Amino acid sequence: MAESEPLIGIDLGTTNSIVATVQDGQPVVIKNRTGVALTPSVVAVSKNAKRLVGSIAKRQAITNPQETVYAAKRLIGRKFSSHEVQDALRSLPYAVVAGQHDDLRIRMGGRDLSVPEISAMILQELKADAEAHFGRPVTKAVVTVPAYFNDAQRQATKDAGRIAGLEVLRIINEPTAAALAYGFGRTVNGRVAVLDLGGGTFDVSVLEISQGVFDVVATGGDTYLGGEDWDNRIIEWLVFGFAKEHGLDLRKDRMALQRLKDAAEKAKVELSSVRESHVNLPFICTPPGGGAALHLQATLTRDKLEDLTSDLAERVVGITTEVLGEAGVRPSELKEVILVGGMTRMPKIVEAVRGYFRREPCKGVHPEEVVALGAAIQAHALAGQDSELLLLDVTPQSLGVAIAGGYVRRVIPKNTTVPTSATEVFATSKDFQRTVKIMVLQGEHEMAQANELLGEFALTGLREAPRGQVEIEVTFDINAEGIVSVSAKDRGTGLRQSITVTASSGLTEEELKRIIEEQREYLLAARLSEELKTKRVELDSLARDVVDALTRARLLPGGGGLAADAMPRAEQALEHARRVRDAEDVAALTRACELLSGCLTQLRGSAQSGARR
Amino acid sequence: MSSERANQLVEAGLWLRMSGDHVGAQRLFERALELDPGNARARQYLEGGAASGGNGAPFVVPPPAQVLGRMTPVAPALEGDWGAWAEGKGGLEEADSRKTPAPVYLPVEGGNNGRVDALALLAREEDAPEPEVFSFPEGDTQEFGVPSSGGDTQEYGVPTGDSELDLLLRGAEDLLELDDHSGAVDLLFKAQELAPGDARVEALRQRSEQMLMAMLESKLGDLGRIPRVRLQPDDIIWLNLDHRAGFVLAQIDGAVTYEDLFALSGMTRLDTARILAQLLDEGVITVG
Repeated sequence: MAESEPLIGIDLGTTNSIVATVQDGQPVVIKNRTGVALTPSVVAVSKNAKRLVGSIAKRQAITNPQETVYAAKRLIGRKFSSHEVQDALRSLPYAVVAGQHDDLRIRMGGRDLSVPEISAMILQELKADAEAHFGRPVTKAVVTVPAYFNDAQRQATKDAGRIAGLEVLRIINEPTAAALAYGFGRTVNGRVAVLDLGGGTFDVSVLEISQGVFDVVATGGDTYLGGEDWDNRIIEWLVFGFAKEHGLDLRKDRMALQRLKDAAEKAKVELSSVRESHVNLPFICTPPGGGAALHLQATLTRDKLEDLTSDLAERVVGITTEVLGEAGVRPSELKEVILVGGMTRMPKIVEAVRGYFRREPCKGVHPEEVVALGAAIQAHALAGQDSELLLLDVTPQSLGVAIAGGYVRRVIPKNTTVPTSATEVFATSKDFQRTVKIMVLQGEHEMAQANELLGEFALTGLREAPRGQVEIEVTFDINAEGIVSVSAKDRGTGLRQSITVTASSGLTEEELKRIIEEQREYLLAARLSEELKTKRVELDSLARDVVDALTRARLLPGGGGLAADAMPRAEQALEHARRVRDAEDVAALTRACELLSGCLTQLRGSAQSGARR
Repeated sequence: MSSERANQLVEAGLWLRMSGDHVGAQRLFERALELDPGNARARQYLEGGAASGGNGAPFVVPPPAQVLGRMTPVAPALEGDWGAWAEGKGGLEEADSRKTPAPVYLPVEGGNNGRVDALALLAREEDAPEPEVFSFPEGDTQEFGVPSSGGDTQEYGVPTGDSELDLLLRGAEDLLELDDHSGAVDLLFKAQELAPGDARVEALRQRSEQMLMAMLESKLGDLGRIPRVRLQPDDIIWLNLDHRAGFVLAQIDGAVTYEDLFALSGMTRLDTARILAQLLDEGVITVG
């Protein structure tokens, strides 16, 4: 029986990403090729024009800031003019420029890349890790996104998957995935809070779970609160201590700052399991006047870290209180509280959450892995292997139209299962109104301008009548592919107008196809380059061995009984190897390796028989 | 003529020695003695170097000199501080683009015991942004009868940029003849700072850089291999490294390859390769 196609679940995070799968009925994380579960969501082009993804890109982020892209998730599917993007631009060291459709492009390696292209590089890396794990191609995945992502952001994430060569079977909400990983689809009926404190963001969600149906009833948080804030406090403490001792500000030196950042993160992680951590950074800087380089040595205790970051822990509780308050949910109503994200390993955070909810939160051994595990469970269910856990495609946010006074009238509420259809009747707001403008909006805010405008159209030629007397029927239709059609009909005249809205990541279909083709070519070139490199290393090694063997054979009396043509053949093979070494031809290199290998066997054979004589 | 050439070689040799390239320096002193067997300075530096153990010898600081225009910096303990020549980004000095090169002394026209800090001259551009203790508003210099610009060289009586460039180029060519590509590259970097657009310098620099890079890569071997640190952290702090070498060493974690380190270092490929080759030579790191 043919093996079923491997399916993966991907947690595409702001700071780190993880890939998981279900094996023998158990969800498991797939470690990356460096042997760790987390792959930093960082891509870069190094000074030698090499594309770097993951940990290697993260480790040169400070020394190569303009060419290192991180936190692309904050930008995906957003409009350049949006305040979220404009806010993000203030803190990003890499260049972001406006695209043609008010989308945005990131300048990296001398090219302007769309955000889905950047995210695709991370997905490609995770896909490659999964392929290395399975030993065969992987083409299908479930990808998670924050619960507050709108259709454009979800579509952009899907496009990233397409560029990476993945068919995104479904996009699911991160808190839902976390709850799935805990098996709550089967065991819990009621409200569950999910607190996700990652590297750069803090998301609070409240889920209503009923008979296996997951409904996000509240979501909020702070998109600029995460583990990096804790790291920065440690860096400040180290820098201050060093400045006091040596009168030097290490932040002025990028190399020192990169090392401080790596050390701070390491110390923070260590302090979740031990009481103190030693920071040892030899040769951290050379004093401006020359002389011996200085070392930084410090010991950070857990108490000190908690003292340095007490306000951050308070912010976690404050934001949670706010989100629950806005949703009208009391902590005592919750059946469970789930902690997600690496930062929730910190004892102080667990203590703060326990104090607020007055219950022990659920935290697995690896809180940063649960979202990916949930995505893998969903991918497994989608393959028909567990229909009980099948999540339905829903509208992530409400859809409606703008009405008089700048308000929104919701026609399809969020979390409605698609396909769906709904109709509302509206009336004119002015006397003898001839035209009505239908603005299609997505979002939860009651004011129209605070929602996402998906499209607009006008219905003209209305019957002239006092206000309120002309009725217009507005119908929303969402098909199984998530395509929204909105039509408006004058009930009196039967006059009708409509619009079709497709969620767009900012990339047109043509652009997407071109990018996919470019990526394919890039991967082919990368594979060829890797093959060439491997072959050249093999060729060099064989050539060295042949030269050694030739030298030995020449020293043996009578060439050690070597066939007359053996040495000239070896010399010819070496000459041939020299000629083809720099050519971009894997076949020629392979042939040269074979020739050298043959000569080597012959020469070594003679050397052994010569030595026996 | 050969005496003048020998003197030039001695100056270039001193420069190299200050940069930590003792082998290259020694070769130049030897070459100077070949051209001018009576050259006392070449003999003195050569003997000084040999007496103190060649490569492993402490640097001999020349006698105190009369240096005009700036304080003579105390010669830093450069011996074995082989990461110091790595030119690239990073380092506290990068923040204010100041560098404090150790002095090399040129004979001053007109004899006497006066010597001029040659590196002060070579590093003239780098010294420019150095914070001034006493500064005058622009234009005020006229009041004191000092020209606002271009007067420095005249004032101190040191040769013009052209002759320095020629000196460096000849030194580099000599080093290339002696197969000392490392020393040649150092001199050519300096030459390029003096004459950024000079095609001769650029061509020679590219050629020697390529050759040096090939030599260093060959020393490192397969760049896909993973180097490892051989020493314990307690032993590492006793090494004599600069912050750049310290940075590269800190990145070696038993997981990254040489190729990764080129990408991680934030320095040029050449500088990174030099540091790695030296770490390998000194037995600080190993492969396999």
